[in-house]
Amino acid sequence: MLPQRMKKAMTDNPKKLANLIDLVNLPSTLREFMGQSQTSRLGCFKRVWSYIKENNLQDPNNKNLVNCDEKLKSVLLGKPQVELTELPTLIKLHFPKQPR
Amino acid sequence: MGKLPPSLRSANFAVNTLIKTPSPSPNSKPHCYPKKSQPPKKKPTSNTEPQLPSSIVAFDSTSLSDAKTLFNSLISNSRNPTSDNKFYNAVLQSFSSNSTLQDSIFFLNHMIKVHPPFSPDRFTYHVLLIQSCKSVDLSLSPVHQVLNLMTTNGFPPNKVSTDIAVRTLCSLGHEEQAIELVKELSSKDSPPDTYTYNFIVRHLCKNRPLSTMNNFIKEMREGFDIKPDLVTYTIMIDNVCNSKNLREATRLLGVLSEEGYKPDCYVYNTIMKGYCMLSQGGEVLGVYMKMQEEGVKADLVTYNTLIYGLSKSGRVKDAKKFLNVMMEEGHVPDAVTYTSLMNGMCREADPLGAVALLEKMEARGCAPNSCTYNTLLHGLCKGRLLDKGMKLYDVMKQNGTKLETGSYGTFLRALCRNGRVAEAYEVFDYAIESKSLTDVAAYTTLESTLKWLKKAREQGLVI
Repeated sequence: MLPQRMKKAMTDNPKKLANLIDLVNLPSTLREFMGQSQTSRLGCFKRVWSYIKENNLQDPNNKNLVNCDEKLKSVLLGKPQVELTELPTLIKLHFPKQPR
Repeated sequence: MGKLPPSLRSANFAVNTLIKTPSPSPNSKPHCYPKKSQPPKKKPTSNTEPQLPSSIVAFDSTSLSDAKTLFNSLISNSRNPTSDNKFYNAVLQSFSSNSTLQDSIFFLNHMIKVHPPFSPDRFTYHVLLIQSCKSVDLSLSPVHQVLNLMTTNGFPPNKVSTDIAVRTLCSLGHEEQAIELVKELSSKDSPPDTYTYNFIVRHLCKNRPLSTMNNFIKEMREGFDIKPDLVTYTIMIDNVCNSKNLREATRLLGVLSEEGYKPDCYVYNTIMKGYCMLSQGGEVLGVYMKMQEEGVKADLVTYNTLIYGLSKSGRVKDAKKFLNVMMEEGHVPDAVTYTSLMNGMCREADPLGAVALLEKMEARGCAPNSCTYNTLLHGLCKGRLLDKGMKLYDVMKQNGTKLETGSYGTFLRALCRNGRVAEAYEVFDYAIESKSLTDVAAYTTLESTLKWLKKAREQGLVI
């Protein structure tokens, strides 16, 4: 199946892996949310997801939706409501590919 | 699911036990294993001596003079120092573990001088031998030094010395030096016994290219008339099967019968496992028939491999038949047996049958393991029985069962396909929390699954 092959490629490819776990300097918006100046994309994702859980931001009627509070809005393009499906994509926007 | 673990592991195990179980030759084996566990054993002995706290045996300083002082006080403070050599050997070993070989030799001399009742025995020199093997980089000179020391003190190296040296060298990745040493010792009348020999072969199989091992066997045969035995052949066949080298495996089988060996249960098990490895699971039945013909008794591993192979090649009906056969023969099917069978049933799109089997096995008093659960979860998700899968997942969560990469991915996809993304996130959390997968592996799977979901939605394949 496709996803599995993609995953394999991901872990096999050191550049893509580095993209995920290397610490990078954060832009000011994210810095405020994370409370630290450096993090990896993976760390950021985990932080955002745990923030959603801690503050019960999932829509009670449809758990797949997240109703953003002000703080979350600041990191997720200011959208009032996001789908869990697009969470990784939205977070990826903060971590542009670094020219090497 | 396409991987081999369950029955493989046990087959592998069989080969290992085969090497260890035969009754040890007179004086070789008992020595090298106790050797390792010496320090723990020693502690009680030193504890019986009230003045000697066990911690004193641990040297925290690497300095030779400190060690000497410590030893002096040890001897002078206790009214009647133990006459047990084990104690002194333990002291020496503990010192040698964080000092240089040279210092250890000086320390040994000091011990003899200060406390004449202590006369070093073979064990004492073996402590030094182990240390010398650890300090090998490219030349064997430290080892030679100790071997010479042993000879001059009346303990010429024997089989045990060879075995200890080889095991230490190999465990540190100095296989070439180990081979060199073995050849040298073989020409000096202390050839390796079959255990040492098989140990090297097994080690070479794992860590060096095939040609290294073949060269070694050839050299030992031509130079010292040491021939591979049945166990060696089992190791070799196992190895080539693992690397999917069918041609070499067939050749080895031919050599085996040329040499006049009659394959035993372990050889047959290895061959069966080899077929499974090569995705020719159907062939196992032929091997089993051959075993029956030759009058070789099948054991639990045989049946497990047989059932695994048949299941994998889609002959679940036959596999089920053998479950009954094995029980009639008095073997108790274990988790591996049942899991293989469930695997086969899931492949045949009969996950419900597999779940029924789970109940049956539990009723028979056989506890499922994590592989069983993962197989079932995978099967249920593939069979689009997500709700049943969810129930199973809850049980797994209660037991703290770890998820495997394959079943984790399948489960995530099944959840996402059914629009239960939030639950997929929850499974992601569980995978990390239970340490089933690394953060990276868990996340990449989640990310790619969501990406796939988005694409599928765009194409209108999923709501």
